Amino acid sequence: MVNIDAILAQVFNGIQFGVLMALLATGLSLIFGMLGIINFAHGSLYLLGAYLVWSCVQVLPIPGNFWLGLVITLPLMAIVGLMIERFLLHRMYGQPVVYQILITFGLLLVIQQGVALIYGTVPLPLGMPPSFEGEINLGLFRYPVYRLFTMILGLAIILGVWFFIERSALGAIIRASAEDPETARTLGINTRKVYTWTFALGSALAGLGGGLHAPMIGGLQHTIGTEILLICFIVLVIGGMGSIRGALLGGILLGVVRGLAGVFWAPASDFVMFAAMGIILMLRPQGLLGRGVAR
Amino acid sequence: MKAGEGRPGKGFSTELFPVFLMAAILVPVYFVLPSRMMAAEILIMAIPTLAFILLLGYTGLLNFGTGSLFAVGAYTAGILLARHNVHILLAIIAGVAMSGIISVIMGYFCIKRGGLIFALLTLAFNQLIWFIIWQWKSFTGGPDGIWGIKREILELGIFSINLKPTFNFYIFVLILFLLLFLFVRRLIESPFGKVLMGMRESELRATAIGYNPETYKWIAFIIGGLICGLGGTLFALHQEYVGEHLATWHTSGEFAIMALLGGTFVLPGALIGSGVFIFLADFLNKFTVLSKAGAWLLVLGVIFIVVVMFLRGGIYGGAEKVYQLLKKK
Repeated sequence: MVNIDAILAQVFNGIQFGVLMALLATGLSLIFGMLGIINFAHGSLYLLGAYLVWSCVQVLPIPGNFWLGLVITLPLMAIVGLMIERFLLHRMYGQPVVYQILITFGLLLVIQQGVALIYGTVPLPLGMPPSFEGEINLGLFRYPVYRLFTMILGLAIILGVWFFIERSALGAIIRASAEDPETARTLGINTRKVYTWTFALGSALAGLGGGLHAPMIGGLQHTIGTEILLICFIVLVIGGMGSIRGALLGGILLGVVRGLAGVFWAPASDFVMFAAMGIILMLRPQGLLGRGVAR
Repeated sequence: MKAGEGRPGKGFSTELFPVFLMAAILVPVYFVLPSRMMAAEILIMAIPTLAFILLLGYTGLLNFGTGSLFAVGAYTAGILLARHNVHILLAIIAGVAMSGIISVIMGYFCIKRGGLIFALLTLAFNQLIWFIIWQWKSFTGGPDGIWGIKREILELGIFSINLKPTFNFYIFVLILFLLLFLFVRRLIESPFGKVLMGMRESELRATAIGYNPETYKWIAFIIGGLICGLGGTLFALHQEYVGEHLATWHTSGEFAIMALLGGTFVLPGALIGSGVFIFLADFLNKFTVLSKAGAWLLVLGVIFIVVVMFLRGGIYGGAEKVYQLLKKK
């Protein structure tokens, strides 16, 4: 029989991993809701974020360099996203969505292989930030401080983004531009600008997710982006495309199921992800909290 | 060509002439290419690309599952040839059939949702199949793959051909490729093909006329799967080895790149795309700087983005445009 503490720890780990995936899926979902495309390069933006933080830690041997890296990553990745949208996707609006997806697929190759060229293909380890190395006693079991921290921070950011989109005035503009671009335009909203900034926001979130995840991965490699991308896709399909709450629910659900399956048989943790997606699609094709199919 | 009768202008010359022309060009190509393996590889990789084009260019479905169906064909043929010593033709048929069976199941789930979800679902299925191949070590060899596939003498009653020499194998692949090409061309010109194209333009209208889009998409998907399977079996014979990397979605992505490079809306685009892709990959890999970290893919990625943005019809479409311009002058 499997130890109950081990199961609890796995559930906790699952939630933690799920929140991180939800953070990435939130960006992906925002981009999908706005531009109506699936961003294949999202995993590569995550990859860039992780490598940016790694570089910052290597270049600046000062205390707090990890946090500085995280802070720098946000605007830098927003700029990267801005450029991608401005120079590539912007020219594709009004053309079949398939080609926009294919462009992001091309970007995935370029970013991934670019990283491989610059940083090499050998895994690069990134230690935990100092003072976050230990474990904390949660009563039933001890849990790494850093994981707990990412869980809380991730949740806070997702809630913040949700609040921004659903409750703020700027968020209303974003939602209006997504739901009915023509009416939004007649009301004087520059929807193209909104698209650009939404993509930038999604990219920044992906980069932040990468930076936060980096110390927990054994070693950074140029292939981590595509692995994460697939998980994000599954989270989106389970939670519902274009819904932030869906991304959060899907992420946590997937994380827990994945963690629990791993307790019993390690390879099963990957298998259940696909099984979960298949079941959801059969029973509820729009996802758990999906708003139906966007354009 | 019985089926062509009764259709004006579709006699022997227009039906078969381009194919004979292709054969006449493709046979000497073998001697021009830098490596003797390359010619057969180009033809083989053009086969799943053809399936990709049939689905994207003619049906409007972005299929990221081609790699896994390709791998299913390759593994089926590989296992039969390496462990059970079956007849080569039988192995090919079994590989194609197996891919067909898998694509019946895969298609059933994937075509339920169109557009983006279709792309995601095929991608997920692709990874699922890869995962099974990766984990099922006793059957598929897992990370080791299948070794010891023998490409030997193919006996067809009174007639026999030794497939071991690369040139003989190339001709064998070429014959199969041309037959397939004829079949796919006939398919897209058939009423079935017209319905597919009609659905690509407007699914709503096709439904209104009384066609069931799901059935048509499903059949198109299965035909695509069978074609991918054929490519896979030939690839197993070509490499005399099958590895799990074939089933990853990177393979699917490569077929997508080939299709877009060559031209997504025309069947010869598959051949042009795979030719350019494989030649370019080989060429780029010769620079040590680029081959070190697989950076040839970076160059290909940039070319791919440029093609998607500015040359939607691929190389074929571009050549056509240039031809039209010259004709006007």
